[in-house]
Parts: sequence; C-alpha cells; structure tokens
Amino acid sequence: MNDGPQSDAAIINRRTAFLGIGAAGVFGVLAARLYYLQVTRAEDYRVLSEDNRFNFNLLLPPRGEIRDRFGEGLAVNAQDYRAELIPEQTKDVKTSLDAFEKIIPLTANERARILKDVKENSGFVPILLKDHLEWSAFSALNIRMHKLAGVIPKVGSVRSYPNLGIFSHTLGYVGRAAKSDVEKDDDPLLRQPTFLIGKTGVEAAMEGELRGASGRLKVEVNARGRIVREWPDPKTQAQSGKDVYITLDAELQRFAAEQYVNDEGETDSGGLAVMDVITGELRALLSMPVFDGNLFVSGLTQTDMDRMNNDPKRPQFNKVLGGGYPPASTYKMVVMLAALESGLISPERPVFCLGKIRLGNRNFHCWKRQGHGAMTMRDALKNSCDSYFYEIAQVIGIERIADMSRRLGLGQVYDIGITGQRRGIVPEPVWKQDRLGAAWRDGDTLNASIGQGFALTTPLQLAVMCARLANMKKAVSPSLLIGGELEGFEDLGINPAHLAFVRDAMWGVCNEVGGTAYRYNGLGLEGVQLAGKTGTGQVRGISSSERSSGVRKNNRLPWKLRDHSIFVGFAPYDKPRFAISTVVEHGGSGAKRAADITRAVMSMALKRDGLGESVLGEAAKPGAVNPDGARPNAVGSGLRHQDL
Amino acid sequence: MMRPSAYRAPMYSETGPSLLSKLYELNWLLPALIAVVGAVGVLMIYAATDGVWSRGAAQHAVRLFVAAGIMIGVSLVNIRLWYELAYPIYFIALALLLGVEFFGVSVNGSQRWLDFGPMRLQPSEIMKPAIVLALARYYHDLANWRVSSVLGISGAMLLIVMPMVLILKQPDLGTTLLLAATGVVIVFLAGINWRVMSMAMLGLVVAVPLFFRFGLKDYQRSRILTFFDPSRDPSGASYHITQSKIALGSGGVSGKGFMKGTQRQGEYVPENRTDFIFTVIGEEFGLVGSLMTMGLYICVIGLCVWLCFQCKAVFSKLLILGLTTTFTLYIFINLGMVMGLAPVVGVPLPLISYGGTVILVVMGGFGLILSAHLHRSVELPRSSD
Repeated sequence: MNDGPQSDAAIINRRTAFLGIGAAGVFGVLAARLYYLQVTRAEDYRVLSEDNRFNFNLLLPPRGEIRDRFGEGLAVNAQDYRAELIPEQTKDVKTSLDAFEKIIPLTANERARILKDVKENSGFVPILLKDHLEWSAFSALNIRMHKLAGVIPKVGSVRSYPNLGIFSHTLGYVGRAAKSDVEKDDDPLLRQPTFLIGKTGVEAAMEGELRGASGRLKVEVNARGRIVREWPDPKTQAQSGKDVYITLDAELQRFAAEQYVNDEGETDSGGLAVMDVITGELRALLSMPVFDGNLFVSGLTQTDMDRMNNDPKRPQFNKVLGGGYPPASTYKMVVMLAALESGLISPERPVFCLGKIRLGNRNFHCWKRQGHGAMTMRDALKNSCDSYFYEIAQVIGIERIADMSRRLGLGQVYDIGITGQRRGIVPEPVWKQDRLGAAWRDGDTLNASIGQGFALTTPLQLAVMCARLANMKKAVSPSLLIGGELEGFEDLGINPAHLAFVRDAMWGVCNEVGGTAYRYNGLGLEGVQLAGKTGTGQVRGISSSERSSGVRKNNRLPWKLRDHSIFVGFAPYDKPRFAISTVVEHGGSGAKRAADITRAVMSMALKRDGLGESVLGEAAKPGAVNPDGARPNAVGSGLRHQDL
Repeated sequence: MMRPSAYRAPMYSETGPSLLSKLYELNWLLPALIAVVGAVGVLMIYAATDGVWSRGAAQHAVRLFVAAGIMIGVSLVNIRLWYELAYPIYFIALALLLGVEFFGVSVNGSQRWLDFGPMRLQPSEIMKPAIVLALARYYHDLANWRVSSVLGISGAMLLIVMPMVLILKQPDLGTTLLLAATGVVIVFLAGINWRVMSMAMLGLVVAVPLFFRFGLKDYQRSRILTFFDPSRDPSGASYHITQSKIALGSGGVSGKGFMKGTQRQGEYVPENRTDFIFTVIGEEFGLVGSLMTMGLYICVIGLCVWLCFQCKAVFSKLLILGLTTTFTLYIFINLGMVMGLAPVVGVPLPLISYGGTVILVVMGGFGLILSAHLHRSVELPRSSD
C-alpha cells in the first residue's frame, strides 16, 4: 500500500499541512515585525522621517541702513547684479561658460574657481559666475539669455556707500566676519559666507541695531539635498536690521568736502567738525581726503590698497577724530580764560610786544618780528600776539592753563559711539614727568601758551572747545547717533562775564579791521556774524639762523614741512548756533585755507538751519548747494591777513 | 474522488474538449486574486514614480495583461504535455545558464543575461519553474520507497545542485538560495524520511559557515555582515535597510495617504519601484495596507494549496506546491529584507514590483498551477518497480 499513488498524495498533503503551519508562522513573524515598526516604534520613525525631510536654511536679514538727520541714506543696500550658473540646466558646463565669456570675460582664476565649485556641488546648486556686474554687462546678459543655457541673471543686495566716501571715516565699512568675530559672537549668521558685519565706524558701533535677526526657512529636501518644497512660517522670517540715524547733515558735509579742493584742484588733507552748540549734535564730521568704503565691500585689490597706503595724505586715517594737531593760536582762548578766572590778570593790563621775549638764554619769538607794541588782552587775541600770552602764562602758571583746557573739553575722548578718537595732550608738569621722565621747564609753559610744543588736539576737541565757549553755560559734549538718551550737560562753571569777554575778542578777530581773520563781508550772511580764532600749527623747529635770515615762506617748503592751517569759530555771534573747527594739514596760515573753509561751511550750515533764509531767499534753503561747488569766499583774498 | 463537474480529460494526443469548455472549467478565482495583487502593484508603482504613468505603472499594467494571456495559454495546455516537457525544459534552462557562463552580458558586475538581439533573457529566472517541473517529474517517476534511498537522494541533489552552482557563479546569491530552498521543500514534500531530513539540516548548519567563508563574493559577504550589524556602513549597504524601516515605521497604523509618502517623495528609499516597493505601501497605507497586502498573498498561496489538495497525481501536486513555494519564498525574502529581518538580496515582491521577467515567470508558474488543476483527472503514467 505504501507505494501507491494514494499514499503518495497522502504524504504530500500531510507535509503540505506541516509546511503550511510553518509558512503561517513566518507570516506571523512578518506581521509582528510590521506591528513593531508601524505601531510600537512608529513615533521614532516619524521623527527620523521628518529629520530626513526637513532642513532649516538660514535666512539672512537685510542690514539696517544708516541715514543722516534728514533721512538721506548714507549706507544703503543697493542692488547687486550677478550671474549664476545651474549646472544641471546646461547641456555642458564648459560650453555655457564659453558663451558667457563672450559677454562677460572671466579671468583664468575665476574660471578655475567656477569649475571647481561645479565639481564639488550637486547639479542643482547655483554657482556664482560673477558678481558686482555693471548694469550694461547685466543687461547684455539678459538680452542673450536664450543662448546661455543654465546661466541665471540675479539681482542681489550689496552694501553701498554713496557720496564717494565722504562719510567713510564715520560710517566705517562692512566685511566678512573674521575668526575672532565668530569666537566672540555665536550668532549663526556670522558663519554664513555671504553675510557681512560692521568692521569699523558706525557700522561696527551699531552692529547690534543694524544686523537684524536671522530667519529660518523650513525646506523639504530629498535624499540628495534638492529642495522639494518651502514651508513658509511667519515666525521664522528674518527680521531686518533697524535703520540708524546719525546727526550729520549729508548736504553740509558734501559741501564741506568740496571746500577742501584747493585752487590747484587738489584735495587738501585735514579734518572738519561742525557741532550744535546747544545739543552737541555733530552736523559735519569730515576727514579729508576720503577713501571709498565700497572698495572694502567688493573686495579690496592690492592696487587699491597700495594706493591708499602710499598716499602721503593718508586717506584711510580719520583725521577729525584721530589726528593730533598742535592747537596753535586757537589755544589762546584757553590761556585767556584761565588768566581771567585766576583773577591775577586784568584785561586792561598792557603787555609791550617787542617781537620776542627772552627767558634764560632762549629767545621766544612773536610771529610779528617787529612786535605789536602795547597790547591789552582783547587786542592780543585779535592780533594773535604771542608775546602777550608768553607774559601772562608765566604769571598764572601752567596748572591753571591745563585745568582750563580740560574744562573746555581738550585732552579727552567723547562717547559718540564710534572708536578711533585720539585723547590728545594737555601739557602740564605731571604729564611730562610721566611720559617723558623730565622736569617741566618755564620754556614749556611759554610754548604751551601759544598752543605749540607738547599740546596736541583733535579737530573734534577743538570744535567742542569752541562749542563750550559759545554755549557759555554748559559743558556741551558731542553726539553722533540719534536716538540715544540725551543727558543734560554739566555746568561749565566759568564766570559768564569772562566767557563773554573771550567771545567778544573772538568776534574782533573776525569782524574788526586788523583782526587776523577779518573779512569785509564776514560770512556773507547779512547781520549774521562769525566769531573765531585762527591758528597756524608749526610742524618744524625754526632755527635762529633761519630766523635771522628770514623765516622761509610756506610755499617754498616741502608739503610735509608746511604749517597746519587751523580755524575755530562759532556763529551767529549774538546767538550762537554752531561751533566749527577746521584743520587743513600743511595748509599754511590759519587765516587763509582754514578760515576760508570755515566761513563757507559755517554760512552753509546756518543757511541749511534756516537762519539765513529771510536774508538770502532761494539760495539759503536747506539742500541748496552752490552749483559749481566754488568756495563763496574765494574772492576778496586781497583782504586776507598774515597771521600766526 | 472526483467532483462531477471536473473535466474528464483524455490523453493529450487526442482531440480534447472545446477550448470554451476548458475556459469554463478553469479556476477563475486565482486569476482574479492575481489581478487584484497586480492592480496594487500598478498603483504603487504609480505612486513610487510620482504619479507619472509612463515611468513604470503603465508598462506594469501592460505586462500584467500580456502575462495573464500567457498564463491562460499555459493553463490550457494539457498537463500531460508539461509532464513530457519537464526534463527538456529543465535541460534547456541548464544549457542557457551554461551559455550565460560563456556568452552572458554583464550588468552591474553580475553576468546574468543572455542577449538575443531585441530581447534579453535571464536564464536563472527560467530555471525557477524549470527545476520545479524537473523535480516534480523526478518524484512522480520515483517509487515511493526510493525517495530516501541514496540513489533517490542523489538524483534529486544532482537536479538541484547543477543550476545552483551555475547561478552562484554569476553571481546571484538570492536566486541560488531561492532555488535551493524550493528544491529542499519539494524533496521534503516528496516524502523523504525525517531522519534523512534532520541529518541534512544538521549538515547545513555545518556547511553554512564554511560556505560563507569560501563560497561568497566580497560584496555578498558584506551585505550579510551589514544585515547583522547595520552600523558597519551607515550610508552604504545599510542605508537601504535604515531608510526602508523609516519609511515603514513613519507610515504608522493608517499611513500618510496615497501619494503623500515623504520618504518616497524625497527619494530616500532607493529602488522603491522595484525591490523596495513594499516601503511605499507601508508608508502611504500604514499597517492596515501592509497587512492587507500580506493577506492578499496569503489568499493566493492558500488557494494554490487548495488546488493542490484537489489533485491526485504526484507530478501535479508537487508542481503546484513547488511553484507556490517559490512564490512564497519571494514574498518572505522580500518582506524580510524590507523590514530589516533579512539581508538585502535582490528579490522582488512578485506581481507588485516593477520588472518584466519576474511577472512572466510568476504568471507562467500560475499557468502551470492552473493547468495541473484543470487537468487533475488526467492519468499520468507512472513507472512502477
């Protein structure tokens, strides 16, 4: 029976049943596994699946803009024309590049960089071909788009500084975060290769306001990183940086910069500050010559760098804050006030100027070799008689002068938000002992009394000094950023009668015939008068042999050895509004270049403030510029006076 | 015992009943079930290719129709003819495998294809039904008492080992193992005694490590090692398994919805149109869809077994069971692989995965099953000792 087909079938059926149970077991295991994956661990896998699916791309916030007091953009976000390439949309990358190069040439380096980028990235990643394109090149590219497979013209954003760099020293510039920046600041934006942060000036000082906050874009990506979909979420939008307003008046500063172009058409170097004598707000803060901050954004070439570094006028150096100049005769107001406050000197006490005084075995010369004759205090300032100040300085002593210097704002730095200020030097015995290890000598006092020797000030400090003289009551300090808390200024603590006396003498300098800065038409604003003081900062020693054979004229000296031309002043005299200081490096006598610039800039400042409107009508409206940029006071130079 | 409705077939050489009455007698439940599974395949390929018909779904549907025609054609051929052709088919398949060895075309480092101009043939796929035919005939002809004899075992082993060696050389580990397993199941079903069976199993336990050490190519060994330790190669070989499990697991109970699978959209699971198509089912239809798919397969398998029970001839029974075994093993290996229970071997999910040869072979197999059932009353000669 065992070998019959029936029994065969029976065996097969039995064993089939047996295997069937086994198969059912396997299906059971598979079902259990499915339950484990899809129920027990479903949540874990859901998370993993989301991880797979989503990436968070950082969204860069637009940087806040920096504007002047009237809202004019000084540091703005301009459109940047660029071309990108999406390799997978080309037939062949090299062909596309060749076609592109027919319109916009690439250097060998650029081409190599592009090919390297193409190789290292997935085909859908856009590769930068070239940025900062000219509009003409960009439009040419757009017209020929149909022949350029895979090339995409794009409009991006780039930091731009209009005004040819006139504000560069104040604004600073932006650049890619350095390693040290990234270590100090863990903002992920800093690790973005295209993100720029403030490196100097207001850009750096107000970085917190300007930067904004990064957003996150939730994107769905596939296994190769290609973005499948974007998920907009309002909570994760980038927050643009805040705009920052500064106290400067762009129009005024442009006008001031134009004044630094001399009669030969060259740009003089120096610094100029215009300051509100009541609020301390700076209306102009100019350092000449300028450098173009845009170069730092687009990437400085070696040529640009060399040109700037080799320029003897040092365009990158912020002279208005960081330049140290002997205050020269502008220091005489300090000495004068110190003398009045000391009570030791009567303003009527005459000093007889013989052209020089002798101290020990040294001669100290007045700028006027033949001497001024009998000088009272007011005449001494008007004529800038050195002998007079030699005399009274010896009476009151250096400590009183140094103290008055500080009360008027010299020898200190101000919290105006940006760095780069020089402290300057207020000469006094303690300082000399500390810094030079030498005892103070009487001769040092005489040099200090006319603002020479050790004394060193910045144009900003001189403007502050002038503003405090003009304010009469308060120790006004400068400010640059709008929006900070305005704290009241401390009292100056100087007898107003004494201040009025000094101011009157400064008025004499500018408005009385014989004054070193007298000009018959003054500011050119009827009834609005300037008060001020010239200064001629000596940068070289004058030997006695040179003195006996006649001091060389400035225009026969090499540029580097010529005197600094300095002027400080305020206006209107009767109701002071602005203080100004002007320094023209190696510009010769203070009565000339600096005084001319000062008059022009001051009258423009007043016009733009509305004071001159009724007098001058159309031309005085804010924003009105002299169309050819000529200095209004360039005429009438025959009336200029020689001065020291 | 015969049901009155069963078709009483004459010898194949005689003129048979009309084609129509044969078609009427055919078990249409099986083609219907296959159609449902195939439809699932078309839908899932459609999803896996982001809803682009031309990227596989349409071709799959067309192939199913063509293969269904072949299946019906095969089923109408008298079982007697298949019985007669069993050995010729087996040896032709063997010859083709040998041909692959010498004239084959290499794809991805494996030499599996024979190029016949317009069509490419994969003889290892033909061998899958061929070996079942040959073994069924072998045991049909073999007297019962000889099944466990040395001669009986040797004959079966020869039939199994010859193609295995050739396929392993290609190399194609998945098919080799599938063939071996199918062969062993048929030998078991044929009634080999338990003692021999358990001894063979013991021998296997000893042989497997040796085979692993000396019989495998590096990439095959690496795949198996990776299966046991996925951290070996997180982005390479085990990437398949990890992403596949994420796809299934993230589907949860009810799935993400048709065409809404994110793993699928993100192209995280490679080969999800072919071998890993079950991940699309699991992700988009969850546990419910996965179990329903498995349920469909169980119905197909169960039906085949039920058809087998209705047959009496050893050839017919073993033919049905052998082919069903191949089909079942496909499913086990594929699902085990997708769920991370088995190493990644290139085994498709029959009827659902995209791929022409597999459909043809599987449907041809179902044709044979239907034929065996249709002609269950046909007498097959049996040598008796």
